[in-house]
Amino acid sequence: MTTVNIISLNKMYPNQPAPVLKDFSLSVMDGEMVALLGPSGMGKSTLLKLITGIERPDSGDIQFDGSSILGIEPNKRGAVLMFQKSYLFPFLNVEDNISFGLRVQGASSQTIRAEVKRMLDLISLPGIEKRKVGQLSGGEGQRVALARALVTNPKLLLLDEPLSNLDTEVRMNLQEVIRVIQRELGVTTIFVTHDLGEAMAMSDRMALLLNGEIVALDKPENLFHRPRSLAAARFMGVSTFLNGDKLTVKKEASAGASEKTFAIRPEHIRIQIEACKNSMQGVVSDCVFRGEYVEYQVAVGEMSVRARMPMPAPMFPHGEQVYVKFPSEHLFEVEN
Amino acid sequence: MKRIASYALRVILYIILVAPLLLFIAYAFSTRWFFPQPFPTEWTLTTFQRAMDDARTLSSMAQGIWIAILVSLLSLILALPAARVLGLRKFRGRQLAWLLLFLPTVIPPLAIGMGLNILFLRIGLAGTIAGVVLAHIIPTLPYTIFTLSSAFARFDENYEFQALALGASPWHIFFKVTLRMLAPSLIVATLFAFLISWSQYLLTLLIGGGQVITLPILLFSAASGGNPSTIAVLSLLFIAPPVLVIAATARQLNQHGNQIRELY
Repeated sequence: MTTVNIISLNKMYPNQPAPVLKDFSLSVMDGEMVALLGPSGMGKSTLLKLITGIERPDSGDIQFDGSSILGIEPNKRGAVLMFQKSYLFPFLNVEDNISFGLRVQGASSQTIRAEVKRMLDLISLPGIEKRKVGQLSGGEGQRVALARALVTNPKLLLLDEPLSNLDTEVRMNLQEVIRVIQRELGVTTIFVTHDLGEAMAMSDRMALLLNGEIVALDKPENLFHRPRSLAAARFMGVSTFLNGDKLTVKKEASAGASEKTFAIRPEHIRIQIEACKNSMQGVVSDCVFRGEYVEYQVAVGEMSVRARMPMPAPMFPHGEQVYVKFPSEHLFEVEN
Repeated sequence: MKRIASYALRVILYIILVAPLLLFIAYAFSTRWFFPQPFPTEWTLTTFQRAMDDARTLSSMAQGIWIAILVSLLSLILALPAARVLGLRKFRGRQLAWLLLFLPTVIPPLAIGMGLNILFLRIGLAGTIAGVVLAHIIPTLPYTIFTLSSAFARFDENYEFQALALGASPWHIFFKVTLRMLAPSLIVATLFAFLISWSQYLLTLLIGGGQVITLPILLFSAASGGNPSTIAVLSLLFIAPPVLVIAATARQLNQHGNQIRELY
């Protein structure tokens, strides 16, 4: 049961112009799962390396329960890793893989057998102790890797895109498995991903990472509905931003230059034939049927507006004159 | 038609490879095999027995095997760190490092041997087993490094990170994870080193200076003596250890190969 504090971490690699991590701070509460979301190469994996001790930060501190772990050897920190690939040792069977950490600690063979059985029950793969690693499917491999990581009661579980190599169905299933086990054991977890849906489905809080800095940190639902900054909004799939002052926006959206910027989620924008309040005229440039919804691209003056309307929704031919409505109750202000 | 051709070619290749061996066997285990007879008429073990009774034969074999084992171990120990860096890292001067490490394969061993001889005479290593072992490492090292570095190039360090995060000490990781994962290539590299050292004539002669007698030395002197039966016996003894070693490891090599194929 561990609270993790990451304080003003800085990390720069010798041959790179910009630092990978810039004054990076993050607190993870005991038993909490925090997702780090960001494009690849944004310092996410570096952070995990610093926490496990494979690399050292240039400055800053990492604390478990208030005391620094930077002076502790990597193999004594109690931070375990789960990667995209399972990295199960191919020369050991499932049981010996799961018990690797226990054996290193010198656990008795009785404890080992009992613990391996408990973990296998937990990951819903009972009775596969003697199976060879090569005989496991991708999803099974990741479950066993999870069991191997958690069997030693680690202080912190680090997940580095553990599901991105799996088929959609297996991935959905494993998201749930990991989430349930993480809650049940109450292990503090940092989860690195570039998949927005996965981050929202699994985490208690979500940190959006850009250029080595956290641009937003909040509960997934808050970030989704009301991202505070432009960068955060972009992350969360918002692509329509309008400038204007609040009163005129409320009455009539305009793309004119002004101090304030408002954003709206694509699923809140309405495309219609008739003009009405808060609407602007545009020309349909694309209209895609996606099954559960229709996606539109509409050119409004210089701006290209992306909108989504749930089925049933009208299909418009390319070049059709339409009105794009921005319902005022869904417009929210973002910092530039 | 194509199949017959490939079959014929294979048979011809086998004949080319096996014929000298058969000839050795014929010479080694026969007496009085003279020109018009196509095959030996009298088979005997006496030549073989005589060669084995000669104390120099067994002692030279034992010495050769010891030297080869020492050479394989030392060149593995020396090759591992170099191979790891060459296989896993990209750094300035990597090409130069490759070139330097591979120089022994292109520089004539006679040149190396002469130079080493002078040096070893000065520091008192000439004519000693230690000196011969050190000299043998020169031609073996490029092969062990090459074999192991291509193994490291396929190796994923994340296995080591996993073990580290799970609490294993660096030594534990090295012996129980890294070496285990590299085992097939380690066996191949050891074999290379063993065989190169075992069959080394020139460096043994130059550095050993007649003090260190291995089987190739004995074989060469017998060859200049000109008794075909003795030559044949010594040649068979010369071939035996490599064949035995390869036969003993073939099954494991094959198994490891299958394991690797399963993995990827």
